Amino acid sequence: MAAILTLLAGTFYGLIIGLIPSAGATTGLVALFGFISFFSFDPYLGVIFCMAVVASSTTGDTYAGILLGIPGANSAAATMVDGYPLAQQGRATEALTAAITTSTLNGLFWGTLTFALLPQYIKLIMYFGIPELWAFILLSLACVGFVSNKFWFRSIIAICVGLFIGLIGIDPETNIDRFTLGWDYVADGVQLMPFVAGLFAFPEIIAGWRRGESIAKIGEGTHTQQTWEGIKAVWTYKWDAFRGGAIGAFVGFLPGLGGAMGDWMSYGATVASNPDEEFGNGNMRGVVGPEGSNNAQKATSMIPTVLFGIPGASFAAVLLGLFAYLGFELGTQEIANDTRFFDSLTFGFMWATVITGIVCVLFNKHIAKITYVPYIYYFPLLVGFIIWACVQYTGGWEDYAILGLATCLGLFCKKYKFSRPAMLMAFILAIKVEALTLQMTTIYSIDDLVTRPLFLVIMSLVVMLLVFSIAKRSKLEYA
Amino acid sequence: MKKIIIAMVVSLGIATSALAETFTFVVPQKPGSGTTQWTEIVLKELARFMPGHTLTLRNFPGARDIPAVNAFQNELRFDDTVIMVSHGGNGVSFLQEAVDYNYADWESIGMMNLNIIVGKRLDADLDNIVFASKSGRVPDAMGMALLLCGKLESIGEYTTCFKSKVNWVPGFSKGGDRRLAFKRGELTVDRENPAAYKKHIAPNADAEVWFHHGVLQGDGTHADDVNYPGLQMEILYEQKWGEAPSGPMYDAYVLVKSFRDAMQKAFWVNAGNPNAELLQNALLEMSKDPEAIAAIQKKVGKYEWVIGKEGNARRDTLMSFVTEDALRDLVEFSNEALSIQAIYKENILNPSYLTVVEDVVEVEEVGLLQRVSNWFKSIVS
Repeated sequence: MAAILTLLAGTFYGLIIGLIPSAGATTGLVALFGFISFFSFDPYLGVIFCMAVVASSTTGDTYAGILLGIPGANSAAATMVDGYPLAQQGRATEALTAAITTSTLNGLFWGTLTFALLPQYIKLIMYFGIPELWAFILLSLACVGFVSNKFWFRSIIAICVGLFIGLIGIDPETNIDRFTLGWDYVADGVQLMPFVAGLFAFPEIIAGWRRGESIAKIGEGTHTQQTWEGIKAVWTYKWDAFRGGAIGAFVGFLPGLGGAMGDWMSYGATVASNPDEEFGNGNMRGVVGPEGSNNAQKATSMIPTVLFGIPGASFAAVLLGLFAYLGFELGTQEIANDTRFFDSLTFGFMWATVITGIVCVLFNKHIAKITYVPYIYYFPLLVGFIIWACVQYTGGWEDYAILGLATCLGLFCKKYKFSRPAMLMAFILAIKVEALTLQMTTIYSIDDLVTRPLFLVIMSLVVMLLVFSIAKRSKLEYA
Repeated sequence: MKKIIIAMVVSLGIATSALAETFTFVVPQKPGSGTTQWTEIVLKELARFMPGHTLTLRNFPGARDIPAVNAFQNELRFDDTVIMVSHGGNGVSFLQEAVDYNYADWESIGMMNLNIIVGKRLDADLDNIVFASKSGRVPDAMGMALLLCGKLESIGEYTTCFKSKVNWVPGFSKGGDRRLAFKRGELTVDRENPAAYKKHIAPNADAEVWFHHGVLQGDGTHADDVNYPGLQMEILYEQKWGEAPSGPMYDAYVLVKSFRDAMQKAFWVNAGNPNAELLQNALLEMSKDPEAIAAIQKKVGKYEWVIGKEGNARRDTLMSFVTEDALRDLVEFSNEALSIQAIYKENILNPSYLTVVEDVVEVEEVGLLQRVSNWFKSIVS
């Protein structure tokens, strides 16, 4: 009984966190440090609570992306590219239902595979060395830069700018400030939240403010009808959903790669697999494809986290700390033999995924009606939330300055069609790209690299993607 | 009568509120980090020995964990309810980076003194070591250079020898990436604190302890670690080279390893803080409580606590290692062998250092944006 109540409490808390634009699993888990000691009487209940939060707090990106055209803080939410136009066409409930259903089913499928076979993955993970991870990141940048945008040259520029901004901070080799112009504030790097908000949120809010009206016209179908259409869409596009889940699961399985990669690679793969279809103007495949990725990724991120004590994603790093606080040392032999721990992990994640899916599908039709409300009524609240989230780093004027600069950059990119997703992805991965490049070039020679089959396969995929994007240019104009 | 009762209640309320403080422990890292976790674990136990008071944790992240410690030095320490939580990396930065802070201006509440263990893969080629670089790993690199190269005349010779035998790989800013690379065999040597060593390296059947740095004693010497007997760097050096280590390189090594390991985790307040005794007593009580110590050791490992005046004495012992030659040699090796942009700071050699020093020496030119920032802050304040 205590386990069920804990599960419900964790799921409810995660849902609330998930609905706040800019918040997500990482934010929700960080806030738990204040009261995690409550579970000291039974730490396994704490595990259930934490896993329920992980499973239920991923919905925020989906709602913000589809209803407002703004990505969340945890991923670039590729869903918004086609989801937002669907909302504008009065099909928000259908898009949200398809997204949540896909996400839930993939979470359950990959969650089952993850938790049932957890100890078996140790050998598999060892095949992915530094060169393979480096090539995989290159593949993800190629996906978002070339497949998802028809202005491929501007995408290259956007990627370069994103990398440059992402590299502001400390040079890992010499330990001295780099590109900071003497400004100490950015020595720790440009913070993600103000950058995301400036690049995406404020340009969309300003556009909504100028329009001055509601996002969507009232559609022809009723919202109950749209709910069924959304569920049917998942079956219709089941292979896109499955492919998205598989890509997300794979990205989660590789330690240290973030959520944005899975979403955008899935979206890129969906676009590439359907070359005759138009994307960016409200294609349901463009919602189902990337949404397959997020919960699958959450599930498989637990593999390196539990087996090695090495976080598979940013939320997993916080989870590691919370579990340590509860007395569970992930990556140790004791944990591998603790069946109750594994049961709690599985119970919390799987049931919270089910409950979240049901609750969201039931309430989507009500939440979607926000798209009929004139923008002017809720945009101050939205602006308030976003600014609050952006100034959590220091709370000083510098946070506002970065937000302002990123907003100018976002407006420029939106107007002149420089891919903002590509820029954001490059920004997020810049440190990883640099670190892996330094590691690879220091440890490996060209002769070593050509003897690694997995590396060669991934690099071949990158080349094929380039050839594909040049030969059959994407029609997508989203920037 | 009614008035008297009200007056008594009000007086009691005022008295109680005057006694009950909210103490803020400033951690120079993000939530979820190693030092944050350590602080959370210790505060949970410490709170039981400070009834009526509230202990809160404030994360103050920043580049190389320096901004929070600088802010404590320049501003936060003047608040009697603020406690700084520093770690070993802050000690290394203090020796060779442009930082504002100065341990001599502070009073120790307590610190954990620990050892660092260097492990190697069984198949590691000791003439071609692959090791992840980071500024906090300078002592490990110097220990390796001594063990591998024996007694050489100059830091330049050690640099040449080190570069010929160690591939110092940049880009490993996160522990997880490094640990996985070691498990995969891409890195052949790695190092951890004792608790992390047990968790990440010891379970590997293909890895073993190479050497450890020893545990700093009150008299300034380093003793062998009972958990890994006979594997202290000094002991292995003598076995291999037939004499005890000595010379400029060794002095620089002792300096930097002491600053990193002996103050691996420490609580500080401003010198003369009226709450210092209260905090020290509470920590002392906690350290004597078997239940509290067992709870902490279960999560962070068995480390020695050095509390209050002993902490200040330990800090002063460390300062006595800061000689001109040792510091210059440390900076030279960091720059030449490890490509770390270390700077020589003459001001920390000042004989008056062990007393309070008020002036903060600017060692780096302030950039334009920083000047604008300072100007803005001065207007606001």
